[in-house]
Amino acid sequence: MKKTILTLGISALISTNLLAKDIKIGVVMPLTGAIAGYGQMTKKGIDLAHEMQPTLNNKDKIVLVYVDNAGDKAQTANAVNRLISKDKVVAIIGALTSSNSLVVAPIIKKYHTPTVAPVATNKRVTYANPYMNRACFIDPFQGKVAAKFAVDNLHAKTAVVIIDKSQAYSAGLAKNFIKDYKKRGGKVLKVLFITSGDKDFKAILSSIKAANPDIVYAPLYAPEMALILKQAKTLGIHKQFLAGDGVSDLKTLTGVAKDASNNLMYSDHFNEAAAPTKLSKQFVAKYHQKYNNEQVPSFAANGADSYFIIVNAMNKCKNPADKECVAKNITKTKKLEGVTGYITIPKSGNPTKSAVINQVQDSKAVYKATVNP
Amino acid sequence: MILQQFFNAISLGSMYALIAIGYTMVYGVLRLINFAHGDIMMVGAFFAFIFFSLSSNFFLAVLLAIVAASVVGALTYKVAYKPLLDKNAPKISLLITAIGVSFFLENLFNMIFGGTPQAFNYPPFFDQTIEISHAIITYSSIVTIVITIFVLCIVLWFLNRTKYGMAIKAIAFDIDTVKLMGINVDFLIVLVFVIGSMLASLGGIFYAISYPSIDPLMGVLVGLKAFAAAVLGGIGSVLGAAIGGFILGFSEVFIVAFFPDLAGYKDAIAFVFLIFILLFRPTGIMGIDFEKQRF
Repeated sequence: MKKTILTLGISALISTNLLAKDIKIGVVMPLTGAIAGYGQMTKKGIDLAHEMQPTLNNKDKIVLVYVDNAGDKAQTANAVNRLISKDKVVAIIGALTSSNSLVVAPIIKKYHTPTVAPVATNKRVTYANPYMNRACFIDPFQGKVAAKFAVDNLHAKTAVVIIDKSQAYSAGLAKNFIKDYKKRGGKVLKVLFITSGDKDFKAILSSIKAANPDIVYAPLYAPEMALILKQAKTLGIHKQFLAGDGVSDLKTLTGVAKDASNNLMYSDHFNEAAAPTKLSKQFVAKYHQKYNNEQVPSFAANGADSYFIIVNAMNKCKNPADKECVAKNITKTKKLEGVTGYITIPKSGNPTKSAVINQVQDSKAVYKATVNP
Repeated sequence: MILQQFFNAISLGSMYALIAIGYTMVYGVLRLINFAHGDIMMVGAFFAFIFFSLSSNFFLAVLLAIVAASVVGALTYKVAYKPLLDKNAPKISLLITAIGVSFFLENLFNMIFGGTPQAFNYPPFFDQTIEISHAIITYSSIVTIVITIFVLCIVLWFLNRTKYGMAIKAIAFDIDTVKLMGINVDFLIVLVFVIGSMLASLGGIFYAISYPSIDPLMGVLVGLKAFAAAVLGGIGSVLGAAIGGFILGFSEVFIVAFFPDLAGYKDAIAFVFLIFILLFRPTGIMGIDFEKQRF
């Protein structure tokens, strides 16, 4: 009797294994290195999304294959090649940020592997590439959002803009902010430049003090932003700073700037206080449970959405391992319920989404407003 | 506004000066450009970071960090440079070893702490400010400037007025003769590394207080600039290194202050300025003729 059960059990195991395949999704992300903070946040979101939907509709199991790129371009290229040729992944989530995703794009185009970049906002990432998509809005939009918010909500008539010359992200946001801000009747008093890795901003802050603008638009990353805010406070400059999603690594920002970071406003993808869909409410609750009541970072929400977009496309295909079919169905995503809202992805691979404005208050992102396209 | 920038420049220059002195002393004694020196500054800042998280006494943490960093500095000599010197290896091998040590320290700290910048905590005392005719000056920059000048005087006194200092100067002249006189040369070279590392770690800690995020690569660019300062001042001269550090700090700050539009080019302009000075004074400002004098 025992034997029969055992044989039955084994045969059942074998048969389910035969029917349900493992479908691999590769994830390329900086999990170590200077921008690891962003990668770690996104990974938490993807892990939770995977927990919420571990299988496809046809019971195929989804397996995530993580590869660290340390935020480095050469390592990104190696990682993508490895995922495609060795791990035989069907789709890729990555490589998080714009500069690394620009490395990913030509490789996955060559190997026809559908890819969703969680937070690569640079315009060129998806250019002329049917396999490359993103889960976020693009830089020009984010710049315009900031301009609209500055004029409509902050009633700021004059602005000084700080650009990080070494980051395409920063230049992209600033350019579109300046264009739109002028169109709305604002006046840009000064444009100042910094470089990633700069530590001393007292000189440019003194020149901001002299110009005395209503707001300072500074689309920078968290390490530089933190030092600017800190030095502004010691110099007694109490201007409203406005930034982009680059500062959303609040751990780095508030760790360095401490209370000097209070009141900083920035455009972002998501705030848990304004969860737009049923799924996002569910996601937020589960996130709190899993990660010790930590506030859901917007990058985690975008990471989860990247996963849901790919899974949704796979569900529409008869054979979920068919890369061409998955790629085609990603660009047919229509009103998909995601964490950051309802997602529609057109042929261009760039979804149309609304942005939120957050304000830093005691190391937390407090929801201020939603700005629609 | 000018006074404000003046203080910014002196405090930045002080940090460069502290680090540059180490470059110049090691070069004077061994004719070695110790590229790991910038990383000793990073090591000092990280040690202060660790010790301050363990004990709440910042002063004690800084003292321990300086001691620990000088031990690391002495170890780099004992482990990496001395075996080569004993075998009379060419100077270029020493240089390559120095670059190796630099990479080793950077990657070791990268392994232990990760590459993400860490927030450097320090007592709020340093954030207090005083106002002198519209210039707002933080206590941290006052402390930096005062201690740097104090330390500089001690080092100059040590080199010119004590037996050990004289002996170090003698080594710089002719190491073999000094050995024949029965002086423990090895000990004195270790002493040079210890002094250099102490100053560098002090500079690193000041740097971390002024710009409170530390990462394993923080010493690379600062180290290069301090090295440039040492060359500018005339490598081999302690006073020259300090002057070079201040000049570099001033040119960097004032370029941004007077031409904010060129802020992004400040490093480039500072180094062009350096080349310009070297064109007129090829051996640096306090240019040393190694046949005649030392330090």
